[in-house]
Formats: sequence, structure tokens, C-alpha cells
Amino acid sequence: MAVHVARDVDDATRAVAVDERAELIAGGTDLMVEINFGRRRPGALVAIDRVQELRGISRSGRVRVGAGVTYTQLLADDAGSAALREASRSVGSPQIRNAGTIGGNIATSSPAGDALPVLAALEATIVVRSVRGERRVPFAEWMTGPKRNGRARDEIIVAAEWESAGPKQTFMKVGTRNAMVIAVASLALVVDASRRRVGVALGSCGPTILRADRAQSFAAGVLDELGWERQAAPTETACAEFGALVASAARPIDDVRGTAAYRSHVLSVMAARALARVAVLG
Amino acid sequence: MPRVVRTRVELEGRMTDELALVEGKDLPGWTGERTIVGTPTTRIDGAQRVTGRARYTQDITLPGMLHVRFVRSQHARARVVRVDDTRARELRGVRAVLHRSNLPKAPFRGEETIFREEARFVGEEVAAVCAESEETAAAAIRLVDVEYEVLPHVVDLEDAISEQAPRLDEKGNVSESGSHSRGDTERALRDADVVVDATYRTSTQLHNSLETHGAVAHWDGERLTVWESTQHVFGVREGLHLALGLPYSRIRVICEFMGGGFGSKGGAGKYTIAAALFARQLGAPVRCVYTREEENLAAGNRSATLQHIRVGWTGGRTGRISGLEHISYSNSGQGRWVADPTGPTNTLYKIADLSTKSYRVVTNAGSLSAFRAPGYVEGTFALESALDELAEQVRVDPLELRRRHATSIDPLMALRYTQKRLLDCYRIGAKEIGWSRRKRGGTPGSAEHRRRGMGMASQIWFGGGGPPAFATVHLNPDGTAVIRSGTQDIGTGTRTILAQICAEELGIGVTDVRVDIGDTDAPYGPISAGSLTLASVGPAVRQAAADAREQLLGAAAGVLEVGKRELRVEGGRIVGTSRQTTIEEIFDQLKNYTVIGRGSRFPNPSETALNTFGSHFVQLEVDVRTGEVFLEKIVAVHDIGRVVNPLTAASQVEGGIIQAIGFALTEQRVLDRATGRVLNADLEEYKVPTVRDVPPIVVRFVDVPDRRANNLGARGLGEPPIIPTAAAVANAIANATGARVRTTPMTPDRVMAAFAASRA
Repeated sequence: MAVHVARDVDDATRAVAVDERAELIAGGTDLMVEINFGRRRPGALVAIDRVQELRGISRSGRVRVGAGVTYTQLLADDAGSAALREASRSVGSPQIRNAGTIGGNIATSSPAGDALPVLAALEATIVVRSVRGERRVPFAEWMTGPKRNGRARDEIIVAAEWESAGPKQTFMKVGTRNAMVIAVASLALVVDASRRRVGVALGSCGPTILRADRAQSFAAGVLDELGWERQAAPTETACAEFGALVASAARPIDDVRGTAAYRSHVLSVMAARALARVAVLG
Repeated sequence: MPRVVRTRVELEGRMTDELALVEGKDLPGWTGERTIVGTPTTRIDGAQRVTGRARYTQDITLPGMLHVRFVRSQHARARVVRVDDTRARELRGVRAVLHRSNLPKAPFRGEETIFREEARFVGEEVAAVCAESEETAAAAIRLVDVEYEVLPHVVDLEDAISEQAPRLDEKGNVSESGSHSRGDTERALRDADVVVDATYRTSTQLHNSLETHGAVAHWDGERLTVWESTQHVFGVREGLHLALGLPYSRIRVICEFMGGGFGSKGGAGKYTIAAALFARQLGAPVRCVYTREEENLAAGNRSATLQHIRVGWTGGRTGRISGLEHISYSNSGQGRWVADPTGPTNTLYKIADLSTKSYRVVTNAGSLSAFRAPGYVEGTFALESALDELAEQVRVDPLELRRRHATSIDPLMALRYTQKRLLDCYRIGAKEIGWSRRKRGGTPGSAEHRRRGMGMASQIWFGGGGPPAFATVHLNPDGTAVIRSGTQDIGTGTRTILAQICAEELGIGVTDVRVDIGDTDAPYGPISAGSLTLASVGPAVRQAAADAREQLLGAAAGVLEVGKRELRVEGGRIVGTSRQTTIEEIFDQLKNYTVIGRGSRFPNPSETALNTFGSHFVQLEVDVRTGEVFLEKIVAVHDIGRVVNPLTAASQVEGGIIQAIGFALTEQRVLDRATGRVLNADLEEYKVPTVRDVPPIVVRFVDVPDRRANNLGARGLGEPPIIPTAAAVANAIANATGARVRTTPMTPDRVMAAFAASRA
């Protein structure tokens, strides 16, 4: 198998353009599992783990996180999202966090990808590039199904971008053990006080990352009354109502990791806790 | 002169009468303080293991070595009509293919060959390909065309019990495998004031040894040498002898280092036989090592169980248990035996009216194999949960209930124990966990939605060991010694504790002892299972060391021209005369003389019961909204007689508890009933505990030598620490929340379901 070690993004885009069999590899924490289990046999690999351009985090105005940024880097360097930090901490083990990248999470597009609910709730934009040029895709349009997305074969994910949303945000996850665990259900909640916007996104509860629109509107109403900028706790009833609305947005199934009924239940619990938690952050 | 003695031998609860060869007279127990035995000692092979120098079976590479992969059934039950290997043999690099129609006769576990006419679970071996590389072999198995006649199957325990299930055995899917009865249980339960009637379920747990099953076979034209990851080199030799018809003298089995077995590596496997057959046929070394997926399909498991318990109580808060019935069903897969869960029920407490029954259920799922305290883990979960449910109903402290039913004799055989200090375990454990702070109904946790609780459970296991076990100790002219024995270190620290025993008895340092084990060219050693290695081999090593010392002192007395009785060995020196002499100086006079001491394991005392005892205490928190369980502390106290090495002993306890945490909270093989496929035959979806799932563990031992047991006063420890943890966790969850989880693993959704049931 041919392995092309790309020097920069242009080199990488050319390499995938000329060889139709080529697949991209960054941290390899998803691809190598597939290869080792014999489920995938790429004809050639283009390694982008050494492309410096993909490894930067910038916070001048919009936040931009390079696709090659690892979870370890996200924990060490502040990307301006507490929820993304919490999600990064819950990824795999130290070894996996050292190798795995946010771009890989976006590329794999598993409904259980830990960073994805956060990107959805932040309403991030995915930046992809190919020899044909650059494209910017809102996260809401990115995932098309379980492990399916709008990336063309010759496109490279170069970054995720979003407007900084302030401190009121959190990520929660329930798994079957405390580390190295794929979420049974996960949830990201972002309250962007300056833009008067609430983002709620659910992981492992449907074929793609789901948004909970009614829950978002409800929470916005609660915050209109409480005051968006204040650090005040909503009532238990409001939190419970929010939880129920979040759970109603889920489309869970029974699988090896858990039952649909438990997923819905635990989503409502996590959502209520998330709202109570972020409301008092400032 | 060697002589034959008749002795009763126990292996994992099964008793057999056997003949054993012993020599001379057994040594009396040690008296007074020991300087090496009982001292925490780091592993003598620790550096080798952590630096990668230790050679495991998987590391064996021989020139010209070939590789084997198995074709495995994709059907839960199917008759193999025809195997066509034409396409596979045409692949470049493929050297041979074996299947039913071309396989030489190779009797294996009661069958004529290793490939059966009817494949009876998804993953059962149907054919084997031998190729020049592992990749080629893996590619070739996809080119073996197998025609199947698919037959109706059943994989689930409760499905298999039902009348509608396909009959997998002429006598039916369910067969009684054991029963015990004393007193009049029916009457006792009828007359009881309170009866707890509950059903418990445990899920299939997979061993997941870090090193998968495997063997490398080398046939040199005369002799077969097999490296195998095994708990019993002599057992593998026997399996090869039966399958290949080779005399013992022409088979050598080696297991130098091993990455875990947990009961599943008790003898030759199909991979061993296949590797040996190919090696003989092709005249080349052959390697056959399972992948993780194969390991989790075909290497055995801990049976899932369904257990019904009825336990009665009479006499209010000062009352007693009146009647206990325990009926158990085990999913043995295609296994021919049952890991009986009723063992602890029969023996742990003084209960006059008791009745137990155990049933084997055959299914089209991968078979059971012994798994660290087989049956006892499953049974103790049910028994110790039920006793807590009873304690809660009659408002008696659970620990007090257990103390009240303590027995000083084995109730099954009506024999006195060599030593039983379970009450000491309770006392030490209760103090360590702070049992007096336990409140009925639990206490508030660290957050508003969390509750905290405490629970405990007891364990009984065997681990007394016995003959036959032999060792020799070779004292070198430089004053160092070599232990030779056909035992093996399966990762428990056997090498280190044998070195300590030898050093202690011989009067030299631990670092001066080399331990040559894991080889059938050495004196016979028993299977390293049933927690019996130390108690079986240790006394033989001590005897061999004592024999070597006596010979050395005889030689020294002659050289120094003093009476032998004036001399002793201390710190590698001969002392007792006016001047100290090194062992080296004595041998210098004798021109490279080597002393060889011989030792054998003497029988256990007759008419006594020999068991280990212990109890675990758990403190945890439960999130009452999500059902998540957070372990905070586990205290483990065991009575195993003398503790030879507190460090390796603590490691055993920690390892057992970690494996038990998996059984209790996260591990379960998930089968698809429609196809019989295992949905999580990997380490991604099969959840063993990670380091973040392990709470602080406090390990304590009663540490009083069991003078009646053997010349060391020591009993085994491999299995005891996995036994009581799950029940202690369930009891702590019930204490914290009032919800009783009766199914393992106690996953968050099951905990939530238990909350719902407790509110109803």
C-alpha cells in the first residue's frame, strides 16, 4: 500500500485528487480500527498528520480550530469552548487523545462522536478544501446519516469555525464505564448570551447528531425571563420541562450499548442538569 | 524411597481419589519469625516483563515458521456438508488445508477429530489453513468454500429451557448436574415467618486474557516441541499425546511467560492440535495464535446463569434462617460440564434445612470454560444478594446475620476445617470500611441526586492444593540455586514466591535463586488453576530446598571436619564453627560438585476440610436519576493461612477485584438470538474496566499460618478475590437506594429498572 506523507494542504489535496484509491489518515484512531478488523482496505493512504497548517487554533474574532488539532491539544490550549474541552476530556484514553483529531471526528461522522454535539450546538462551520477550491458547510448540513457526510472523496477537512459563544456551555455523556467508552447518550448545551441563542445537540440518539429545536426555544424563553447575562438558576420545573423537550427530540434505538428507553430517560436527566449548570455560569 | 499414597484431590470443587508418589517424610511447619517468606518481595522477573525481554508464546519466531488460521462457522448450528479447499490451495503461499474429509484421526475431548460434522456455535472451527504468512492464511480462509445445511438453533439460556426450543440433545436441553439436600427445606420454608423469593441472573463474562490462546509447534523428525500459552504444560502434553498418538517422551511443552489464562487455558486446544498436525505434515514450525475476535468467540466463557432462591426466616430480629432453596440453570453452550453456582450455598453458612439443585443447559453458543472461581462468582452473587434481601426484610444488620450463621465445620461433608477465620475477616473489614457508619436506607451522597451506601459479602473457595507436585533444587558451586519444576507462572508471581520459599529454607538470598519452570522436561507440576499452585508446588520446593541444605551441610561437615549437627546455613554462609565459610569455599574442595535436592508434595490431612475464606466491603454512590454507580472504596480481607509474599498477594486481590468489577458493572457478551452471532467479540464494545473504573482497594489478610494444611501453612489466593465483589456491590446499591438489582452486569439501565420496581 502506497503512503504519501503530505507536506502541506495543497500537497494533500493534489495527492487525493490524482489517486482515486487514496484515503486520508490523520490520527488513525478510526481508520486503523477499520483496517485492523479487515473492514477497509484503502488502495493508498495520504497522511496529513504532519501538516502544520491543520494544527493551529486561532481566536481572533471567530474561533478556528484546525482539523489536525488533537484532543490533547484542545485540553491544553483553550479553543474558547468549555463544552469542547469537556467533550475532549471524555474521548478515549490519553493515547487516543494524543492521536485522535477533531477533523477525524468530523470526517468519521459517527453519531457517537464526542466533539460533534458541541460543534452542532455551537453552529460551527466545517471548512473543506480540494483542488477545486474551498467550501464552507454549516454543521447542520454536514452529517447525512450514520458515518455519512457531505465530504467529497477528494476533499480535505481543514478546520471548524464558530462564533465564540461565551462561558455558558457544557457537554455531558453517559457511557457504560468511565473511560475508553463510546457514549450511550451525550448532549451539548450552549447558551450564547450575547446573541440570545440556545443550542442543544444530542449524540448517540439518532442516525445523526440531532438538534432539539423546541427545547432551544423553551430555554430561550426561560432565559428571557431570568435574564440572559445573569447567573440565576431556573426552577426545577423549568429544567424538567426542558429535559422532557430534549428527550422528545431524540430518535434512539436499542443496541449493544443501551436501550432506546434508557437513552430517552437519561437525555432528559442530563438536559435538566445541563440547563441548571450553564444558567449559573458566567 | 518413593512410596505411593492414596489421597483425595480437589480441583475447583470437584473431588477425586488419586494415587500420589511421595518421598521421605514431610517437613514440620516453620516456627518463629521468617526473614524472606512473609516479606513483600518484588517480582524476580518484573524487569524482564516490563522491558519486553520476557518471551511469551506469541513472541516465538522460528526460521521458516508457517501460520495457521481457522475457517469458522458463520451459523449457530449447521451440518458441514462439504468443504472445498480448491480455491484456497491455489492461493500463492498456502501450504495446506485441513478439514473433516482430509484430517488425520486426532481424538480430542471425546470427539474423533477437531472438526465436527455439526458446527454448533458461530465461531466453531470448520477447517484450518496453513500458509507462509499470517496475512495469506487470513486471505485463504475466505477462499475455503463450505456447504452448510443450516439447522434450527437456540443461543439464549431462557429460550433453551423453554419447551418450544429446538432440542439440541437427545435427552433434552436441560439436564441435572448436581444436587444437595439436608433437613426438610419445604417444611422449613412453609413454617417460616418471612420468605424471600427472588430470581437472579448473571451474564456471560469473557476471560479476555491479554495474551490470546495460541501455540507454536516444531517437529524435528523425532520430537515435537510446543510452546503454548497454558496453565498446564503437562496437560497440553497429554492432549497432544492422545491426539497425535505420540509417546510422552517425544513431546515437550514449554510455557516460559504467560499473559493470563483465568481458567481458560487448562490443556491443549484445537489450535494446539492443528499446529502440531501441520508441523508434522509439513516438517516446518507452525504458529497458531487466536485473534481477539477468535478469542471471544471460541476460547470459552463464564456461563450465564438463571438462579432462583427462596430463603426463610423465623423468630423476628433474634431469629434465624429457616430453610434455603437454590435452583440454578447455567448456559454451558456446548460444554459438557457445569460450573456449579450452588457450591457456596451448600457450605458457607450453618443452615439446617437446605436444598440445592444445579442444571446444565446446552445451547448453540460458545462453550463455558473454567473462569476464575467458576460457578462460585455467579452463585455468590445470588446467595449473598438474597441474604441481604432477607436481612433488610427482618431488619437485622447484614453482617450480624452472617455472623449468626457462621459454621466451624463444613456442613456438606460434616468435617472440621483445617483453619477458618472468616469471623476475623468480618471484624477487620468492618473496621476498615467503617461499617458502624452504615445506615439502613443509606446516606446522602456528594451531590443532591446521589445516594451513598455500603454492602458486604463473604466468600468460600478451595485452594488447599495437594499432590502430585514435584520439584528439584540444584545448588550450584557458586552458592546460587536453581528450582526446577513443571509448574508454570501464569502471571500470579509463582516464580517469585517459589524463590522466596527456596531461599528461606536453604539459607540463601532470593536473588540467588533462579526459577526454571514451565517445561515438561522438569519434574511434574500440576495445573495452575483452582488457586492450587502455591499450596501444591510450594511445599515440594521447600522440601527440595531442605534436602539440598541437608546434603550441603553433610558435605560441609566432611570438608570442615565437624559434626553436621553443629552447622547451619545463614545468608549464604555455613555457620556454627569458629569461622564462617561460604558455600563456594566448600564446593571448591569438591571440584564442581552439584547438590540436587528433591521434594514432593505430601497429601493433605484426611478427614478435614480445606478452604479459603474472606469478605469484601464496598462503599459506593449511586446517581438516582441516571442509574450510574460510582465505586468509592473496596475493602478485601481474606484468610489464606500464611501469606508468603504480601506484595504479590495484594496484586492477586486487586486483579481479582478489578475483574469482578467488570462482572458486576460492565461486562457482558451480547448475542443476537436470531443469528447466534456475538455482537461484541472485541474490546471496543465488550467493556472491561479501565483504570478510571477502579476505586481505592484496601487489602488485608488474617495471615495466620494454617498448620494443618501443609508444610508452608499457606493456601491459595488466585480465585477468592473475584468471588464476593459483585454481591457486595449489589448490596451497597440496595443500601444506598432501596433498589435491588438482581442481574449482572448492573448497568445504569438495569439500576433504573430496579428503581422503578422498588417504587412499584
